[in-house]
Amino acid sequence: MTLPQTMPAAPEAWTLPSKGRVAMFSFIVAETSIFTIFVVAYLFYLGKSLSGPTPRQVLEVPIFSTICLLSSSITIHLAVHYLRQAKYAAFKLAWFLTFALGAIFLIGTGIEWNKLITVDGLTISTNLFGTTYYSLVGLHASHVTGGLIALGIVLALALAGKVNEKHEHHLDVLSLYWHFVDAVWVVVFTVVYVIGR
Amino acid sequence: MRPHETHPKDQVELPAPTAWPVILAFGLTLVFAGLLTSAAVSALGAVLTLAGCVGWFRQVLPVQQHEMVPAPHVAEAAPVVTETPDVARMKVFRDFHRARIPIEIYPAAAGVKGGLAGSVAMAVLACLHGVISHGSIWFPINLLAAIVFQNSLALPESYINSFHPLLLLVASLLHIVTSILVGLLYGVMLPMFPRRPIILGGLIAPVLWSGLLYTSLGIINPLLDQRIEWSWFVASQIGFGVVAGLVVVRQQRVKTRQFMPLAVLAGIEAPGILEEKDERSEEK
Amino acid sequence: MSSESLPISGLAGLETKPRPTWIEVLHEWLVTVDHKKLGIMYIVYALVFLVVGGVEATILRIQLAIPHAHFVSPQVFNRMFTMHGTTMIFFVAMPVLFGFANYLVPLMIGARDMAFPRLNAFSFWLTAFGGLLLYFSFLGGDGLYGAGSTPDVGWWAYAPLTSVAFSRGHSTDYWTISLLVSGFGTIGTAVNIVATVLSMRCPGMTLGKMPLLVWLNLVMSGMLLFTITPLTAAQLMLMIDRYMGGHFFDTQAGGSAAIWMHFFWIFGHPEVYVLIIPCFAFVSEIVPVFSRKPIFGYPIMVAATVCIGFVSLSVWAHHMYTIGMTSYENAFFVLTTLAVGVPTGIKIFNWLGTMWGGKIRYELPMMWCLGFLFQFLIAGLTGIMLGAAPFDWQLGNSYFVVAHFHYVIVGGILFALFGAFYYWFPKITGKMLDKKLGHWHFWLFLFGFHMTFDFMHIPGLLGMPRRIYTYEAGRGWAIWNLIVTIGVFFQAVAVLMFVFNMIHSYFRGRVAGNDPWDAWTLEWATSSPPPEYNFAVIPEVKSRRPLWDLKHPEDPDWKYE
Repeated sequence: MTLPQTMPAAPEAWTLPSKGRVAMFSFIVAETSIFTIFVVAYLFYLGKSLSGPTPRQVLEVPIFSTICLLSSSITIHLAVHYLRQAKYAAFKLAWFLTFALGAIFLIGTGIEWNKLITVDGLTISTNLFGTTYYSLVGLHASHVTGGLIALGIVLALALAGKVNEKHEHHLDVLSLYWHFVDAVWVVVFTVVYVIGR
Repeated sequence: MRPHETHPKDQVELPAPTAWPVILAFGLTLVFAGLLTSAAVSALGAVLTLAGCVGWFRQVLPVQQHEMVPAPHVAEAAPVVTETPDVARMKVFRDFHRARIPIEIYPAAAGVKGGLAGSVAMAVLACLHGVISHGSIWFPINLLAAIVFQNSLALPESYINSFHPLLLLVASLLHIVTSILVGLLYGVMLPMFPRRPIILGGLIAPVLWSGLLYTSLGIINPLLDQRIEWSWFVASQIGFGVVAGLVVVRQQRVKTRQFMPLAVLAGIEAPGILEEKDERSEEK
Repeated sequence: MSSESLPISGLAGLETKPRPTWIEVLHEWLVTVDHKKLGIMYIVYALVFLVVGGVEATILRIQLAIPHAHFVSPQVFNRMFTMHGTTMIFFVAMPVLFGFANYLVPLMIGARDMAFPRLNAFSFWLTAFGGLLLYFSFLGGDGLYGAGSTPDVGWWAYAPLTSVAFSRGHSTDYWTISLLVSGFGTIGTAVNIVATVLSMRCPGMTLGKMPLLVWLNLVMSGMLLFTITPLTAAQLMLMIDRYMGGHFFDTQAGGSAAIWMHFFWIFGHPEVYVLIIPCFAFVSEIVPVFSRKPIFGYPIMVAATVCIGFVSLSVWAHHMYTIGMTSYENAFFVLTTLAVGVPTGIKIFNWLGTMWGGKIRYELPMMWCLGFLFQFLIAGLTGIMLGAAPFDWQLGNSYFVVAHFHYVIVGGILFALFGAFYYWFPKITGKMLDKKLGHWHFWLFLFGFHMTFDFMHIPGLLGMPRRIYTYEAGRGWAIWNLIVTIGVFFQAVAVLMFVFNMIHSYFRGRVAGNDPWDAWTLEWATSSPPPEYNFAVIPEVKSRRPLWDLKHPEDPDWKYE
């Protein structure tokens, strides 16, 4: 006697949510908590620095790199879409664009930090603004870096012709992460460059 | 016990054991441990982490590695039986004797009316006290508002005896809301007192409440305690209780709804749900 | 063929293989991704640390037994209470609960493994190495005066004590970094449990038909996602302060020490519920089986748990009444704290409702659960007392608080855990735990527990602050402290008997059979211990008690649900 025989069959087909997506959403929830704490710390310490420089003096709104990062959400969505339809050339192009746009954002952050450190003399230990600014933007940048590494590996595999529509699910989960990184930037941007200035 | 004949297969696919997770975890720990010891440890950890990542990646891509495990039928063949197959059903009594009191209560409107009437009586008595003892009708009003505006108690007598619109507003709000709530409570409780509801609800309850406040207010709010004249306080409480009680008992009582079926109490209206249809239409 | 011999005959094909050498066994456990082996490793790992943390507690209590004692130095005393708290929370309670979750959740939902078996192994090893790194601090490092670098800042590591100026060397960093590492493992496990529960259930097991243990572990993991990362974030900030000269908690540069408290307790209080909810899960499985009735109010139990999960995310600052918050903050946190008592009370009534009218069998798992019910109630009552801000102003940071939360953790969590050990040990090993030793364990531990923690409330009421190294005679504290310390030894002996019982029964215990308790959830349908693949054929379920349906084909549950 085995278990299934003793019970009537389930009336309808048994479908469950994809475990990759569930896990990525759970991970995103956890990441959201980390960012929330850093954002709260940034807002709490806004204007509490005992010495300069202040955000208004040194921060410039990074419009170009923000546009790049946000548009990479569209390109990665298109890339997965093309892969699903097995349009490999379009997939590779869109994926490369995503990677390039992400890289431009990261370079933009690097240039900004370089200016802040060398010209304005703001480091992480200068004052509370420096501490909170570098840790919040740096936390986001580290997530972008992690995403870029993953994007780069996929790009290399794609150029080697090893990515096909069977991997659509994996890339879909990866694109969730990338969308999350972009969404966090909207919050960080608002807090640091709009409210914080 | 014989194995089942039509078993689909006797092998099961399971994820293959792999050392990469433990290597990656060790590497990652070493990277952090290097912060505590020396950079060389971090470097070793970084190498292990990289190796772990690559190894793990190759383990799951392009396809996850599996191993086939023999799953002989016998292991599955254990029957699921119990030594205690008897099932006893718990009895659910539907029509057992149960006392339900009270049978009739006052509607909510009666409580509100009583509370409002009582509040007027109380306000009149309190203002009378203000005029007689302090020569100012505003004294009791400001005192009531002091529950919210604690600081006003520390101010001189002349402040408390003069008119302040904000304090009047707060005091009126407090007075009316509390009166309505207490009135509702009266409406619910008066039918529960077997005899002479006015004496119990209108006299004894206010005295008990005053006694409780008299003993505890000195600890809770000593400044307020100093200002209160307790004879007048008790008088206005009794005034409230008697007037509210009188107004409430003059209202028409209604039957409680606790005899009605759950579905009706829950507000479900559907044909056939209500056995006592006639009764209900009578009420309307 | 009797069912007892099944597990062995199940491996009939392998009997000719030679007995593996110890190195092969070690290799097998190192590379395993099997949720059952990882679960056992979590549990054994936690038990080792339970003994270690227990030894630290005993050292603390010996030091406090009499006034003016010098059993250990003040420095060692500080290290001991720090390590005791950190170990018990992060390296005993969490791993052991993860171990049971790992072992039981896939079995109960009719799956062959967790959703991500390799991630599961990775998470376990991160937790394990995190604990080892913490204890490496006894040996390594260049701490103050070269005397090791064991953390001594308390398990909540309040700023500014953790700043470089007050905590030289790496002792605080050991605390931060080892918890950071094990925290990554915790996130991995939480993600894994959520994905397993949502995506790996066997056909027919809708969310409303999952055993309560699975539901409660889902809620626990969901809470962990919200709560463990704030700690990670706070620890990253602390590391930025200590390693890179940041000013997050540096009051001299405008930073705030209070915000560390907020961040820590945003993690710290939900953490208590993360620990107690799996224990609710054990009780919710054990009480029905030994009352021979289905759980009372299943949907209410689920709703109450989810409710606890949500409300407990907004109660953290009741640990901080004494720092002087505004009256609005105080009022908010008093109200939420008292509100949490409501769903918890609902659960207690549901367990009572399950027992009411049942045919109760006083087996060991049930006895531990009964102990849990009484003690958890008392712990909840002192919790309500401390949840009221004015009362907490009087008794905050006193031994009354220590007694309260040990009542929760030992009287609640540990009692339920012991119940779980007695209940599932036969499934995990295939052998029954010895009943006589079990009774000794229960009664000795019960006696010792009450001797220690009932009387610990009194010095707290008399004003004895927590974490003091020693105290003056003649304050009325001495006799109570002595009683408390004596109780510890009863508990220690009881735990040693339990450890002995497990080892003894593992080798010489009575063979358990598949279903020794006549239970109803899926893990009892497979052999004991379960084969590597759990179920040769993935089961299908129709109700919350699939084995009841099989045992009573004429009267199955699914007709009523």
